[in-house]
Amino acid sequence: MSGGQLLLFVVGGLSNAAYLFIVAAGLSLVFGALRVINMAHGSLYMIAAFVTGVVANQLGLTLGFWGGLVVAVIVTGLVGALIEVVVLRRVYGEEHLVQLLATYALTLVIAGVVRTVFGANYRTVKPPAAINFSVTLAGNSYAAYSFFMIGAAVVIGTGVYILMYRTTLGRNIRAAVSDPELLSASGVNVARLYTVVFVMGAALAALGGAIVAPSQAVNASMDTDVLVLAFAISVIGGLGSIIGSLVGALIVGEVLSFGVQNQYTNPYAIAFVFIIMVIVLTIRPWGLFGKAEQT
Amino acid sequence: MIMDPPPAPPATAGATMPALQVRQLDVRYGKSHVVFDLAVEVARGELLALLGRNGAGKTTAILGIVGLVPGASGSVYVSGRSVSKLPSYRRTKGHVAYVPSGARCFPNLTVQENLELTARPAAGGWTLARVFERFPKLRELRSNQAGGLSGGERQMLAVGRGLMSNPTVLLLDEPTEGLAPVVVQGLGSLLLDLKRTGMGILLAEQNHRLALRVADRAAFIEKGRIVAEMPAAEARGSDILHRILGV
Repeated sequence: MSGGQLLLFVVGGLSNAAYLFIVAAGLSLVFGALRVINMAHGSLYMIAAFVTGVVANQLGLTLGFWGGLVVAVIVTGLVGALIEVVVLRRVYGEEHLVQLLATYALTLVIAGVVRTVFGANYRTVKPPAAINFSVTLAGNSYAAYSFFMIGAAVVIGTGVYILMYRTTLGRNIRAAVSDPELLSASGVNVARLYTVVFVMGAALAALGGAIVAPSQAVNASMDTDVLVLAFAISVIGGLGSIIGSLVGALIVGEVLSFGVQNQYTNPYAIAFVFIIMVIVLTIRPWGLFGKAEQT
Repeated sequence: MIMDPPPAPPATAGATMPALQVRQLDVRYGKSHVVFDLAVEVARGELLALLGRNGAGKTTAILGIVGLVPGASGSVYVSGRSVSKLPSYRRTKGHVAYVPSGARCFPNLTVQENLELTARPAAGGWTLARVFERFPKLRELRSNQAGGLSGGERQMLAVGRGLMSNPTVLLLDEPTEGLAPVVVQGLGSLLLDLKRTGMGILLAEQNHRLALRVADRAAFIEKGRIVAEMPAAEARGSDILHRILGV
């Protein structure tokens, strides 16, 4: 393998990791604070991708994608708020199986709604005109959009970090992770905080879905495709840890990128992800950066 | 005809009303009834010691006052205003401060974050600077995660968190448990100082020595009921103290 080829695969892996990190960070944030594994996280991502597609095609090439991204985050955030208030509030404190069934039911409902509203056809979304060009590096051509995705993930990851560690809201979310009862006895409205956290998780799913839209076909099976990978990332990195999501996304993104480049390993690329997951589960069941569940 | 003067306006709530009044508090966990018809009253600047053994219902009574148990009924008034219908986060917003047992803090937050989280600024009240002045050790440890503190340091932090909300009434659940004698002394003198500022204090304890030294009155709780109430001076060395706490 030449150096140029290696770079090509690495960049491909990084752009995979970019959108996967954004999505997995949302899943992890919600699990950390609410202790709910949100099966519908991929569905929120899919809603955002479709909304981005529709709005982008309406608005044209210059502003279309950006308008789509903003509308997608708003729409998905509202859907998230509705889900939290109507469904999740009824299952907090229930056993995980009940929560899984409730959020799994949502994936079916949302999948049906998406097929009805947007149709089952594939859609394509054009990258914004300003970044719709290619770059040649070491003899290979790259879509500038790949670098935009990587940059977006860095900006969003930094934003999440600042929010969690430099703001009052983030401090309260971290407090809710360790002791929601004491937080309530400290004058914080925990029910409202949970809604805010879930909307933030939905917004991260939406950012992932909007940003991924121009890089692949938008279709009605995106929900499960991304959910499976986001789970693998969360298991590898440790559910509840944002740093874990980052490392997990880098591992999964690169494994997929290198896996699909070779005709012999191509059919098994996703299997490698799960082999790594099994190895991590065997050695550290709580993931690389997760904490062992206290009993 | 001479009109009667209009009735005097009700005294501004707070000035003359007791800091805390609890009436007919019953707490159930599912089918088990834990606290029965509990009534306590704490005046401003007064400290009521709630004495009882492990499992007598002290913690449950406090949780009922704070609003943290769903199966509680009864009335809770702070400065004469009913807070019975308020959720716990509104009761604890400047009215009632709860210092839980076991020096419970947020272990994954820094000392300073733990303190800032409950802060409710009040004129002449407790601030971060004043808490650090009272507990210099906490200033040194301000950037450390609370989970790494010693038991005594965490207890100071738990009390500091209570003070930061500048409450009308401070509820402390076994704050001396596991503390070194010198730390207990410090806590005792802090409680006496707090009384002088007009704060009402409810101190649930097994450690009757400290409690009766700083308390004005004592209430004895057994099997979820208040079985006796008397001035602290009378409680010292009384038969009931022997009977209830086995000392």
